[in-house]
Amino acid sequence: MSETQQQVEELIQSRYKAGFYTDIESESVGAGLNEEIIAMISAKKDEPEWMLEWRLKAFHHWQTMTGPNWAKLNLPGIDFQKIHYYSAPKQKDRPKSLDDVDPKLLETFDKLGVPLHERARLAGVAVDAVFDSVSVGTTFQKELKEAGVIFCSFSEAVQEHPELVREYLGSVVPYRDNYFACLNSAVFSDGSFVYIPEGTKCPMELSTYFRINARDTGQFERTLIIAEPGAEVSYLEGCTAPMRDENQLHAAVVELVARKKAKIKYSTVQNWYPGDENGKGGIYNFVTKRGDCREDDSRISWTQVETGSAITWKYPSCILRGDRSAGEFYSVALTHNHQQADTGTKMIHLGKNTSSKIISKGISAGKSSNSYRGLVRVARKADGARNYTQCDSLLIGKTCGAHTFPYIESANPTAKIEHEATTSRIGEDQLFYCQSRGLDEEEAVALIVDGFCKEVFKELPMEFAVEAKALLEISLEGAVG
Amino acid sequence: MSALIEKLLPQVAGEDDGSFGALRRKAQKVLMKHGFPHRKTENWKYLPLGLLEKRTFSDAVPDRAATPSLPTYPFEAGVIHFHNGRLDPDSCRLPDGVSLTGMLPADIDVSALDDTGPADAFAWLNLARFDQGWKLRVDGRPDEPLVVATTCDDEFDVAVHPRLCVELAEGATLTLIETQGGPGAGLINGVLDLRLGARSSLTHVIERCFAETALIQRTAARVSDAAAYRAFILDGGGPLTRQDLVAELVSPGATAGISGVATLSGRALVDYHTAIEHRVGGTESHENFRILADDQSTGVFNGRIHILRGADDSHSQMNTGNLLLSENARINTKPELEIHAEDVTASHGATIGQLDDDARFYLRSRGLSEAQAIALLKYGFAAAVFDTMASGAVRDWLTDRLKEHL
Repeated sequence: MSETQQQVEELIQSRYKAGFYTDIESESVGAGLNEEIIAMISAKKDEPEWMLEWRLKAFHHWQTMTGPNWAKLNLPGIDFQKIHYYSAPKQKDRPKSLDDVDPKLLETFDKLGVPLHERARLAGVAVDAVFDSVSVGTTFQKELKEAGVIFCSFSEAVQEHPELVREYLGSVVPYRDNYFACLNSAVFSDGSFVYIPEGTKCPMELSTYFRINARDTGQFERTLIIAEPGAEVSYLEGCTAPMRDENQLHAAVVELVARKKAKIKYSTVQNWYPGDENGKGGIYNFVTKRGDCREDDSRISWTQVETGSAITWKYPSCILRGDRSAGEFYSVALTHNHQQADTGTKMIHLGKNTSSKIISKGISAGKSSNSYRGLVRVARKADGARNYTQCDSLLIGKTCGAHTFPYIESANPTAKIEHEATTSRIGEDQLFYCQSRGLDEEEAVALIVDGFCKEVFKELPMEFAVEAKALLEISLEGAVG
Repeated sequence: MSALIEKLLPQVAGEDDGSFGALRRKAQKVLMKHGFPHRKTENWKYLPLGLLEKRTFSDAVPDRAATPSLPTYPFEAGVIHFHNGRLDPDSCRLPDGVSLTGMLPADIDVSALDDTGPADAFAWLNLARFDQGWKLRVDGRPDEPLVVATTCDDEFDVAVHPRLCVELAEGATLTLIETQGGPGAGLINGVLDLRLGARSSLTHVIERCFAETALIQRTAARVSDAAAYRAFILDGGGPLTRQDLVAELVSPGATAGISGVATLSGRALVDYHTAIEHRVGGTESHENFRILADDQSTGVFNGRIHILRGADDSHSQMNTGNLLLSENARINTKPELEIHAEDVTASHGATIGQLDDDARFYLRSRGLSEAQAIALLKYGFAAAVFDTMASGAVRDWLTDRLKEHL
């Protein structure tokens, strides 16, 4: 490789550091979506009969549905028959411990900065690593087990804790919920399962790292977190994929259940491959995330930093069912080049004296389109409900779009709802000041954007906050000048 | 919604429609293809159109009463009077500089209407079914305002489709006051086109309250160079009131302002959809809308600010405040921003709440009764939106009407 070519490739890599591909032997089911494929996925996971029945019910319902067209997205037609719904690294038996995992896989996660081995001890974060359709390993399981916490892959949970999975699966996001959640219910292959017993504060942060590697596959993971009365947990997720010219589909479902006085904090740094500067390639990220504050005094908090994906369609929500339950949503969504994002939240106030807070920051650059779409609904019996929403948009360049679509519905006179939104560009005076202090234009923009997002970053666990800040800076490269 | 098609569409005039034939046929084609909106049509999701399906509409407009009564106004004004959907020539008087003529096909612009879905079905229905369209032309600066009064009587149980176009010549100024009300149980499906020439100025006041009449009204203002459009709305609602209000700012210096109050009681239902389109740069808009919902009423406000690509240096501000005064009332609001340009400022704020206890306590401590304190707070909340209106007889009348509404 000539030096110049190498430099160019390095430069491209610097924009999206996770864009490499791991050459590993894998097995996959053929392309297409039908009952046989679903049965095959279920059989590969050695699932009980009820699980397959649930999948097939979802599939039959999905066949009657049409895709959503209400979002402000230019959604291309997806040929669902061309997608491979299962792909996994080839291995004889499921590894019993991380020592049995293919070193190539460990190397991949190491390269991505995900601590699976020795460094895991130092980082003190338990990780479930999902590679294409399977979980390749989960750290700290023993230590967590001592505290009574269950943290494992979804497939393992179906085997080891079927009663819990059966009770809670689909109880927050039913398989009929929407087009992509229904598809996920039919074909989901893995994901994480978390159970925090009564009165337990999870002794460490839990984390799942999702990696798409194989070509022409989709990733359809499912996460289920159950916090029993008085339990507390902080969960983080990250995701990346190789750089390819073809689009790949990621349709996930996340369900959170918080019982009395339980607290769940869910943080995401989403860095799927966003496509190149001409809009070629990238992940379609269609995700349904919902938390159910099922009992009194429970609390669910969503924090998300969205920098990747060609198209993002995602509305992490809270159903505030218990009295005095609280929901929070903190979001930074950055779009550049030809990326499109339609993201926001739903806060459904059902219990008395419930409260919710929404802080959303959208940054649009290049030719991208970035929309906030949110719903705050106060039901008739939700006395004393309280919501505060702030959504700000920042425009960088003349060819991008920033949009805000907040739905506010109140049927209770004692509810108090406040919503504020602003759209503006980076002020010339702000830029001038930063530059007069010695920063170049790109550094100045990064600093201003960092300040713009500060309220959200402070909600992230420290390691993620540092990563999120760095990601924003990289994603903004070339946005000015 | 096919029942509604059967109910509202069959009287479309045939081949002998004369000059409007082509337009009417297009309208009918769009309606037959897409039908009427339903709960899943984004911009109609909060409006229960089933209410219209339950009604029966007579085929013929009732005969004109001997002398349809015209509301009185505490100021001198020219008048155009539509009664039961038809112009009542006897009670019309035009101010100097204003002319009224029959509408021509060239006066109708359907380019802004959506023909790819059911969102603008009622505007297409109006085009298919309107009986006689009228065009008002304003030159110069008439000394007095012009009232366009829409009334109906007990016998009014038909669906009518009035259509009016108001054109302001370059530099013209007009205060246009629409008053609408009456007891009949029919449907008024109206279209009002406003065209503001360069440097013209239109103050557009709407005051309405219906007992039984359903109203679906589309108003579209096209605002050119340095022209100013100001709308002031006082709406007491009705069993089903839908108002679409679109202001298009098409040349630099154009400005638009929409200030509105809906005071709802009983089972009233109002659904306001406003859209301010900044098509070029150097344009400004502001919007302030308040809803007070009492009893079992429902208030909907969907305000949209759209700054198109290239409309740099546009500025827009929107505020919507809502008071829920009863446990059976309901408010749905959606203040939207859609921005495709740089160097713009756009903001919106929305609140839903109830009367402030501290303020009520203060007023009680000053000797007001509970009812007086509540009335004063409601009035203060609502009247603030008319602060931007030039003082004078029309503003005094409007604030008096507000007191009556409350």
